[in-house]
Amino acid sequence: MWALFLGQRRMLTMQTSTYQLPQFAFRTPPELGLKPSQQKRYPVVVVGGGLGGLTMACDLAHRGVEVLLIDEDDTVGVRGASSRGICYAQKSLEIFQRLGTYSRIARKGIEWSIGKTLAGNEIVYSFDLAAQSSHNVSEQPPFINLQQFYIEWFLVDRLAQLPAADVRWKTQVTRVTQNADRVLLDLECPDGAYQIEASWLVDASGIRSPIREGFGLQTNPATGEDRWCISDVRFKHKPPIERWTWVEAPFNENRAVWQHLMADDVWRLDYQMAPDSDPEYVSRTDVVSDRLRRQFGADIEFELVWVGPYSYRSHVIETMRLSRVFFLGDSAHVMSPFGARGGNSAIQDADNLGWKLAMVLKNTAPESLLDSYHAERHFAAQQNVSITNGTMRFLTPQTAMQRVFRDATIALAKRFEFAQKLVNTGRLSSPTEYPASPLHCGVGAGLNIANCALTVAGQKTNLVDQVARCGNKLVVLCLLPADQASVLAQLISHTDSVECHLLSATDWYDPQGYLAERFGISAGLIGLLRPDLHSAGTIATADLSQVLTRFSLKKDR
Amino acid sequence: MLTTPNIQQPDVFYQALIQAHQGLSPSESEAFNARLILLLANQVGDSNVLLSCVAAAKP
Repeated sequence: MWALFLGQRRMLTMQTSTYQLPQFAFRTPPELGLKPSQQKRYPVVVVGGGLGGLTMACDLAHRGVEVLLIDEDDTVGVRGASSRGICYAQKSLEIFQRLGTYSRIARKGIEWSIGKTLAGNEIVYSFDLAAQSSHNVSEQPPFINLQQFYIEWFLVDRLAQLPAADVRWKTQVTRVTQNADRVLLDLECPDGAYQIEASWLVDASGIRSPIREGFGLQTNPATGEDRWCISDVRFKHKPPIERWTWVEAPFNENRAVWQHLMADDVWRLDYQMAPDSDPEYVSRTDVVSDRLRRQFGADIEFELVWVGPYSYRSHVIETMRLSRVFFLGDSAHVMSPFGARGGNSAIQDADNLGWKLAMVLKNTAPESLLDSYHAERHFAAQQNVSITNGTMRFLTPQTAMQRVFRDATIALAKRFEFAQKLVNTGRLSSPTEYPASPLHCGVGAGLNIANCALTVAGQKTNLVDQVARCGNKLVVLCLLPADQASVLAQLISHTDSVECHLLSATDWYDPQGYLAERFGISAGLIGLLRPDLHSAGTIATADLSQVLTRFSLKKDR
Repeated sequence: MLTTPNIQQPDVFYQALIQAHQGLSPSESEAFNARLILLLANQVGDSNVLLSCVAAAKP
């Protein structure tokens, strides 16, 4: 059997591991000693303590929403060591800045921005993300590589500091039901079975989510024929700290290879295998070692940290919201790992849902705001699957003609710069933009807004921190005091769900002028900035009242 | 997408195209055509025009 890459709870082989993972304490849940009538209803329960679930819980707790996270295990990663996501994109890093884990990630992880694609011994494409304007506005780097379990570990530590969050380890969800006003969960833990109630449930329980299956939701799954073998290796040899991808590697029978550094001096080497190869054979220590020697030389000294064969799978759930239940991360969507879109999109799912749930739970926004979660993140999932499928077609041509065009592309890329753009060894995760969102209010709606530098009250700060200080609010950005006065007048009849800031030295000073330019704000125009740092559009100042009903409830008179 | 004549010397181009294929095996010709399509596509550039050409070339 070839293990599936993402969300796999137990990988097939785990030959060696040099990681020490934390073990979290199980505590007897208070509900076990209480009658159902004495129990409280949790505003939000999150099931699954992986990347998506932990980000979700942390996000909600930061927003002042009481949240209970349930996980069947008592550690991070996939039982023991794991080899899952390694690349965290700028948008994710900005989210972790807001959640308070970014500085640990930056200290532990490997920052990189240069990527090279090789065919044979020739570089056919290279890029430096740090030199691209789309990446150099943010306070965060384009990418940091770090083993996924560290990201999860830092989030668990952060949750322990947040009074609104509670984590229950070693707890299984055995049944979920819902009615018009609540969700009921049957749970099983080492001390027995119990029930809890929640107003909202977020299912982040992974690729084989029993909650999704229990509700009978379809995912339209597809499995790839492509076979790969990960070898995480520590060695004395120091390749450049760059992302290298071979579309045709001479040392791997002209199949693809990935080479990328993670924390702890561990390199992720991922080899494309022949379609008919035997997973037991390709992951045998001697076979893995021979492959490494073919790549790095006969005298290379190395230590195998983790080896795992896998194949690809994709699915997208039919709906990411079923009344009071939201589906997030692998439970909702799975794609092949090209471009690091799986983990990063789970983090963005959480970022998308957190502020919406918080506003609805705090009664400042209408419940219809929650509909946009499916609209925006389902679109993102489909886009990510389509993009990763494109990479898969390039790396594993399915027909003779696909092979002809790939060969032509590689041949031309060696001679002409234009063809390098057609070489596709993965399109790196970038923030999804939502041009067709139901929250579309005006020009540029859905655009991602980078974490630019700001100066506020003479202090250097950044957009992420300032928006976080606003709480769960839509931020209106304007350039002129006259526009601000008009905005404030229009807000009087609404709940406390919108905050207005002036892009000037007296309020939010934006030294690069990035925000005004990105939104296209000028006299008489205002930019609507969502708490997840996406634009809701740039509109005429006088039109604010018309669009406010999507984000704000009218005050009772 | 242009459908009115735009090739300056149609016969010269056509002859060069045919000649380039002389002596090539079917698979070499196929590879040649693929490279040529990609080179020409880069001259066009415009996404809408390219997609219209792909659609118009369908049998």
